[in-house]
Amino acid sequence: MMTALEIAKAVTSGAKTAEQITRESLDIIAQKNPAVNAFVEVFEKDALARAKEVDAKRTRGEKLGALAGVPVAIKDNILYKGHKATCCSKMLENYVASYTSTVVERLLAQDAIIIGRTNMDEFAMGSTNQTSVYGAVKNPVNLECVPGGSSGGSAAAVAAGMVPVALGTDTGGSVRQPAGFCGIVGIKPGYGRISRYGVISFSSSADQVGILASTVADAAEVLEVISGKDVHDSTSLEAPVPAYNAQFTDGLKGMRVGLPKGFLDGLGRDIKDKITQAAERLKELGAELVEVELPLAKYAAPCYYIITSAEASSNLGRYDGIRYGYADNSAKDLNGYYEGSRAPFGLEVKKRLIIGTYALTSERYEECFLKAMKVRELIREDFKKAFEQVDVLLTPTSPTTAFKLGQHDEDPLALYLADLYTCQGNIGGLAGISVPFGNDEKGLPVGIQFYGPILEEEKILNAAYNLEKGL
Amino acid sequence: MEITKKDVELAAKLAKMRVSEEEVSIYQEQLEALFKWVAELAAVNTDAVKLTNVNHCAHMRPDVASSNLAQAAELRGAFDEEQDQCAKVKKVL
Repeated sequence: MMTALEIAKAVTSGAKTAEQITRESLDIIAQKNPAVNAFVEVFEKDALARAKEVDAKRTRGEKLGALAGVPVAIKDNILYKGHKATCCSKMLENYVASYTSTVVERLLAQDAIIIGRTNMDEFAMGSTNQTSVYGAVKNPVNLECVPGGSSGGSAAAVAAGMVPVALGTDTGGSVRQPAGFCGIVGIKPGYGRISRYGVISFSSSADQVGILASTVADAAEVLEVISGKDVHDSTSLEAPVPAYNAQFTDGLKGMRVGLPKGFLDGLGRDIKDKITQAAERLKELGAELVEVELPLAKYAAPCYYIITSAEASSNLGRYDGIRYGYADNSAKDLNGYYEGSRAPFGLEVKKRLIIGTYALTSERYEECFLKAMKVRELIREDFKKAFEQVDVLLTPTSPTTAFKLGQHDEDPLALYLADLYTCQGNIGGLAGISVPFGNDEKGLPVGIQFYGPILEEEKILNAAYNLEKGL
Repeated sequence: MEITKKDVELAAKLAKMRVSEEEVSIYQEQLEALFKWVAELAAVNTDAVKLTNVNHCAHMRPDVASSNLAQAAELRGAFDEEQDQCAKVKKVL
């Protein structure tokens, strides 16, 4: 499939119609989805009708948007009016969105085609895409492996060439980690860059919409379209959105790239070698490598699991059979009604709600939740200091490449460690991008991650763009 | 940090969730491992830390009335049955 930028150019010039592109995307989905399970629903009729509208707009001589005719997949937790959004949970199996999220509104305003909703870990809790009620997603690079998660469907859809770009959400690495596992680009901007209005909440202080794309330039284009202040989300930031694709430079002269001390300790040789090679490549491109200290970053993962689970225990309180979700009408009393109505939650979701609720009990609040919140402040200070010395930080995206389906089912802590490098970005509210950088010995993609400060996404995009160009 | 089966049962009850005995055993073991990890945070001195919001900005919008979601659309998402712009809900108690 062509890139998003190529498609928009072809549709705008008339070289291709939006309908042709949409049909092409639908054909590839029909052909590849049965094996990969990336899409849980394809909006075929809607997408074709929308494509015809875009074509009619062109025929009338009207100016087309920046994403004219580009098929975009959306994760199953992003609302699109009149379409189901289930978080891949039995709890929301019949939920139909009554309004459209800001991110989808902004895509539509630029003439993109929303082609369907993608598979995900239930309520975005997971890093393997195995907890979905619709079944596991397979990694298109190797169907025996996980695609990563929780935006595994979005990543697999792009990696399999079904769509050029997809939206995901990233609470602890759920865009960047699957991007790394599937060999594509995944960006999570800094907290507040993109509106969360119409995105089903998991952890409100960590959730961010992110973009999965086959190239950095495509990710940059979509980021520009969906970023910016939104009156419906008070945490969205009031700041101008740059034309990211116009900020790319040829080489990285003058860029200071931070290498966090001790970050590679305990890593496998494959990933370590790739990071070393990436650092060398950045140096060749003109960047200056600087070792930086991030002494508290190692505490990001436990902070992440306490804070996000606590926020989830509050956010998911709304699924009680009265306000939202499945209702158990066989119950005999109110408690029975609540408990029966919340029974459809899967094992992982229940576990996180138990963790969060426990961390918020009066006995554990100070020791767990408050402590994690305070350590989070210190971690953010650490990153702030690091960004006084450097423009971007270089880290692995994940400690390993994609692993076999079911491999870590008995050891959830091992799965939690898959988010080790990515959850720091959510704890710090940072901008992060994963860019593919070759394969390991098994032929599986290795992701390289860049971090940058909030509202300076152009720096990480430029570093990733230059690294991608050299491959 | 020791986590007992009673802790798991209490948290599940507070979260209004039913958990089987088998689930309690699984969760107890997994939570024990997780909270052991969380206990490492005690090594960080946080005495002087003041909490702020995540992106260090205050976000206030102008207090201007704006249109809201259509009632029918909202009700469609919330209930199965609609009647004269009201939703008929099942008796719980």
